[in-house]
Amino acid sequence: MLAEKALDLIRELQRTLSGTLSPYNEDKIRQVLEEMQNLYDQNRDRAHYAAGQADVFAAIQLRHAAIQRNKRCLLAYLYNRLEQIRKMRWEFGSVLPSDVRYNMCEQEVQWFTQYNRQLANYMKTIGESGGLDLTQDMKPPKTLYVLVRCIMDHGEFETQDGNIILLKKNSQHYLLRSECEHLIRQGILEHLVH
Amino acid sequence: MLIKDFRRDFYDVLQHQRVLILVAFDVDALCACKILQYLFQCDQVLYTVVPVNGLQGVENAFLENAEGIKHVILINCGASVDIVELLQPEDNVRFYICDSHRPVDIHNYYNAVQVKLLMRGEELSVPSYDEVFRDDESSESDTENDDPELGGKKKRFDDEAILRRQERRRWKENRVKLLFDYTKFTSFGTSAALVMFELAWKLSKDTNNLLWLAIVGVTDQQIHYRTPREKYMEDVLALQVHVSRHNQRGDDDENLLSVNCLRVSFEEELHLSLYRHWSLFDSICHSTSVACKLKLWSLKGQKKLHEFLAEMGLPLAQCKQQYSAMESTLKSEVKEKMQTFMHKYGLEIQDIILPSFTMQYGYKSVLCAADHVMMCAALLESIDKSKMLTDYFLDGTEVLQRSNQEKMDSGVDAAKHQLRSMVKQIQSFIDMHQIISAGPFLYVFIQEGAADSRFFSHPQCLIRLARFTLEAHCNVTRNKRARILPLILGAPLMNEEGSTLVVGIPPLDTDDERKNFFGKAFEQAAESTNTSAKFNSFESHVIEMKSEDKSKFFDAMIGLLQ
Repeated sequence: MLAEKALDLIRELQRTLSGTLSPYNEDKIRQVLEEMQNLYDQNRDRAHYAAGQADVFAAIQLRHAAIQRNKRCLLAYLYNRLEQIRKMRWEFGSVLPSDVRYNMCEQEVQWFTQYNRQLANYMKTIGESGGLDLTQDMKPPKTLYVLVRCIMDHGEFETQDGNIILLKKNSQHYLLRSECEHLIRQGILEHLVH
Repeated sequence: MLIKDFRRDFYDVLQHQRVLILVAFDVDALCACKILQYLFQCDQVLYTVVPVNGLQGVENAFLENAEGIKHVILINCGASVDIVELLQPEDNVRFYICDSHRPVDIHNYYNAVQVKLLMRGEELSVPSYDEVFRDDESSESDTENDDPELGGKKKRFDDEAILRRQERRRWKENRVKLLFDYTKFTSFGTSAALVMFELAWKLSKDTNNLLWLAIVGVTDQQIHYRTPREKYMEDVLALQVHVSRHNQRGDDDENLLSVNCLRVSFEEELHLSLYRHWSLFDSICHSTSVACKLKLWSLKGQKKLHEFLAEMGLPLAQCKQQYSAMESTLKSEVKEKMQTFMHKYGLEIQDIILPSFTMQYGYKSVLCAADHVMMCAALLESIDKSKMLTDYFLDGTEVLQRSNQEKMDSGVDAAKHQLRSMVKQIQSFIDMHQIISAGPFLYVFIQEGAADSRFFSHPQCLIRLARFTLEAHCNVTRNKRARILPLILGAPLMNEEGSTLVVGIPPLDTDDERKNFFGKAFEQAAESTNTSAKFNSFESHVIEMKSEDKSKFFDAMIGLLQ
């Protein structure tokens, strides 16, 4: 059916919108493009003797609408993927996890590196000295410090002010939130909530 | 050195510093630690909490975590040993000791620079400085060493020197005697949690929550027979003032507290363990004083209990079901009726009523302080082998947090388990006549491989068992002297084959003092027999030793105490 494949793309996008990036579906996009080319060619052939014939004219209009629809779907697919990638830049930082990177197409990778560069440049220019990391504390934190508990033996950990803390299993520490956030993400520390 | 102004000399000093907190494994210490954690979180003081088990644990924890740390707080540990000597810290490290163990080591007391004591000064009766230390000691010994070389020249000072030496000898004898008297008995002072709460109060940061922790800390001292009843009452009165201050409610409806607040109230509690979470019948059977007075482990005792319940008008069916499901009219009468009929059964008011506190949060059921202590203590000394010691500690803190209902329930179960095995153990002690009088003291050992022995390889539980046993024995035996005899109880250690955990408790007769002389006695007995006993525990009346040294050790103890 007309424009069915483009709809598939949108459906696929819809399924994976939450958090992950699906593989770039090059195959399907090519098929959609082919379909559009086909429709276009048909339209061009008919356009010569369409004048005055209402039925041919209607057919041309229908095909044209299908082309427009396919185009919109393709653009939506690409745009949403970029949005997704941009969101991930803020979540994961400048280096994306390998499985995400694997699912990106070449142009997307290019776009990502450019975006990265621009963001880095921008962050360098704001703030007083050495810029400001905008990706931290996306929501204003309630406290600067958090109580954490160590889940596994990690060894020594040096804080920004040069103190060395021994992260031993089951010890409890009261630390700067920004410092232990990545350790919490790695599953070494656990945030104790009261 | 004793700190007078906690705020200036302790709390303010710690601002913007990183602090290491070492916490002993008991409920009181846990409560104190939680209060302190709250304060530190208010003021954003960075800290690290490490639970420590025994003196060895303190040493290890300090070594591991000492890097860059200038302030170490010890809660319920470390006061009774010379902490500077033990840990060999750098000169700029300060120790703040908040410990209820007495006596305090004199070196800690007189170390003005490195050791600060957070405790009430009036409770300590430390010998005066001049009597135990001599500033000229080193120079004196120098001259003594020099004496033989310079003998000829110094002859004319002989008389003087002899006098001086005589005086020194007298001073030394006096010192030994004083120190012996000072360290002869071990006892407990004000609960660490209460001390911490008072600090919070002075900082105007006290809340109902902290108050409850302080109450639990004080109750812990009562449950584990640390402080005499008089001292407990004194603390309860002090706490009651805070309770009424925090739980003030106006008469008009507008001032009513929301149901989502923590409400603490003073109450004359039934002194029955866990009865709100158990059936009344079971609870009575597992409560120390009532069970001992009625001899509930025997058939006769059980009959007597039935009679008692019948006389109170409590149907058995009601008593044997969950207390929470009992008829509410009966529930409200239990306390009153018990007090009316108790005299006939030889029970006294102290056996049944304990002035204590209860708390309620939201629409959850009422929790009383004693039960909270039991839950926490049971989880702290859990027998779950798959977990590490520090896991127990975290379980304990979670129970104190009260937010996790599942943990609370597991605490209740663990506490019930403990009590059940305790009663079973005592029954077998009594039935098999295992409690033996060795002359100056009673002793009993739990056989290796006994069914529930794993419960008793923890000190706090063992102390409670010892006390239960002693009371039971005193009520059964015909020996009139039993009340003036102390008891030594040994249990096999779970983790180490062939080791025994030994605890000594003072006789019932001296119950209003709760002073324990076993610390010194164990030490001397071990010394004289060369047994390799381990004095690892913070309580000196709890020691570990090899099972094969038992008889040798006990012969020495008999000789010592006669």
